[in-house]
Amino acid sequence: MRGTLYDGTTAFPHAVTVSTAGNELELTTETAHRLVAPLDTLVRTDEGGRVRLGRSDVSGWRLLLDEPLDPDLAARLPRPGRYGGWIDRFGLGKAAAACAVVAAAVVAVGYTAPHWLAPHVPVGWERNLGDSIVGDFGDNRCRSPSGQRALETLAERIEPGVTRGPDRIRFAAFDVNIFNAAAIPGNHIIVFKQMIARAQNSDELTGVLAHEIAHVRRRHVTEALLREFGIGALIRLFAGGIGANAQQVASLSYTRANEAQADADAIAALRRANVDPRPTARLFARLAKETGEDRSYSVEWLKSHPASGGRAKLFAASFDPTHRYQRSLSPDQAFALNTACVKFETMRLPQGPTKPDRVTVHPASGGPPGSFEVR
Amino acid sequence: MDSVRHDGLGGRAIRFTGNWREYLPIAATNVLLVVVTLGVYRFWASARERRYLWSRTHVIDDTLEWTGTGKEMFFGFLMVMAVMLPFFLFIQLVFPALVARGKEGAAAGLATLVYLGIFVLIGFARFRALRYRLSRTWWHGIRGGSDDSGWSYAAEYLGRSLAAFATLFIMFPWAQTSLWNLRWNKMSFGPLPFRADLTTEGLKRRWALLYIAPFAMLIVGGILAAIVGFSLRSSVNGATLGVIFVGLFALVYLAIPLATLHWYAKYYRHAAAATSLGELQFGFDATTWDWLKLFLGNIAWAMVTLGFGISFWGYRNWSFIVRHAHLYGHIDLAELTQSTTRAPRESEGFADAFDLGAI
Repeated sequence: MRGTLYDGTTAFPHAVTVSTAGNELELTTETAHRLVAPLDTLVRTDEGGRVRLGRSDVSGWRLLLDEPLDPDLAARLPRPGRYGGWIDRFGLGKAAAACAVVAAAVVAVGYTAPHWLAPHVPVGWERNLGDSIVGDFGDNRCRSPSGQRALETLAERIEPGVTRGPDRIRFAAFDVNIFNAAAIPGNHIIVFKQMIARAQNSDELTGVLAHEIAHVRRRHVTEALLREFGIGALIRLFAGGIGANAQQVASLSYTRANEAQADADAIAALRRANVDPRPTARLFARLAKETGEDRSYSVEWLKSHPASGGRAKLFAASFDPTHRYQRSLSPDQAFALNTACVKFETMRLPQGPTKPDRVTVHPASGGPPGSFEVR
Repeated sequence: MDSVRHDGLGGRAIRFTGNWREYLPIAATNVLLVVVTLGVYRFWASARERRYLWSRTHVIDDTLEWTGTGKEMFFGFLMVMAVMLPFFLFIQLVFPALVARGKEGAAAGLATLVYLGIFVLIGFARFRALRYRLSRTWWHGIRGGSDDSGWSYAAEYLGRSLAAFATLFIMFPWAQTSLWNLRWNKMSFGPLPFRADLTTEGLKRRWALLYIAPFAMLIVGGILAAIVGFSLRSSVNGATLGVIFVGLFALVYLAIPLATLHWYAKYYRHAAAATSLGELQFGFDATTWDWLKLFLGNIAWAMVTLGFGISFWGYRNWSFIVRHAHLYGHIDLAELTQSTTRAPRESEGFADAFDLGAI
């Protein structure tokens, strides 16, 4: 059959007659010149009605043949590439299915990686980050020594030895008007003033602390860091910073599974520590009322945080009426904790019968500077 | 006898012969494969797309041929990632660390250097992308290319961009046009060098229009605000307020993009007219309105097809360029010999990473 040849040296087109002879393509020009091209060097591209042949050993050599090709020639020519080497070999359907399986596996590994990676991240890597966050709150730290002692006593009730040794968790109270407590990278747990002030007794706070301790021990904090900042967070943690500010880290959110696990751990810890779980339940119930959560389940499923109402029921259900519970702190300790964030020089102690465990201290309105009243 | 003449009278010298029915299977399978490979197939997809588009671009008496492969573009991309890693690490690690240690001066100095470096790389990328595309474009068994590495262009790119920046973009047209010349004068096809002598002649008015558009907006905005204030004081007329808000919206979202389009439409017409290859002269005739129809069409396509139409953007853009391109003059096929430029092994990964076009 006839075709057009570019020899790769000039752009001049040569009209040629094409046939096969043995393992070669035989081309005869109009001037009766005979040229050959080994069949195994040919590379084929189909261009809609035309076949373009190139040679892997001669740059720019092109033979253009109009379709339909002579059947015997067509049988000797290579098949054109289409999607790319591997896919052409297996076929589009099979290759796409195989790729889809691999892609699903990659996505699954990527999604679960923070969970199984977190326990293997050395706590030491997080220390800088945690210390800098705690340092960011700096001046707002509640520095009452007795308050700090009471906070640590509470933690020791939940997990004996938690404030000592190489795996110790460091606790701090901050004079910031947030009704919350948070676990921070590098084994820190911070409690904000509103949480202390609005807990009606120390047992309520015990449940909250138990929940946060569970987050720390289960490495949920690291998991959340990896989840939100990506695996790159690992390198950045190792290098000593994360480029995120305290607020971003403090607002890390845990998965529903993590929250549920921390609740379960907290309930178990309260039982071990002989602390009544009902006050914690009441705290969550109040929180539920405040945040306007209703009983609809849809809300709970949409949020990563379990609805406080549901958690309240969970804690309340763990109450064992046959069990003898002990208060988590003595009245003195509870008072110290309650006033941990109150800066005072002198203080009038309450007169008459009070329930020390329910005492809240407010700066006296209109009183002399540094005076307090107890309600 | 050995030459082909084309004066644009007897049929167009550059034609696009593809159609969307032919391209649809390519687009569809590309989308499928890009999705199931989490994007890795992208490089092979664009190689397939170009192979098709080039093979349907008829120049004088034969089609173009694209020989770039997905594999080389993939490796080009990996190379870019390796080059960009230090920059990324600096921005992620060194910069916050310096700031945290109170060395803001050092941090700012280093950051400036890093951003200048990134700018140099953008210039480098533009040059390399053009060089790569020419080296993979064949016609009559002959390819294009360049013997220049692109680093001197990268330096010029930085210098001219800084000059434009320092003069509050008054010198932008000069920077743009001279960079076009610098780029194309280093390129060749076969033995023929490209020649570009684009000047700002005839372009300044449109640049001025774009330049004053934001100021004009401020003034018009001020007048409109005054009218609002006035109408509020008298009686609030809902219709008037509506018209004013629509007007402001139109100014912000239409006037500036339109003025930009207006400038680039003429810029590319002039640029093509100022560029030649041997005795071949290029031309381009897309008006602002043509460009606008192209872009609006792209957006409409994507919306109507729920995003699938994006896979047709490459096809639409290329066929648009080819349909508006012209070629005049004379080429001697016997003298159009093979290019002696080194075929670069790496690809336009640099441009891909910065998301830049080749021209």
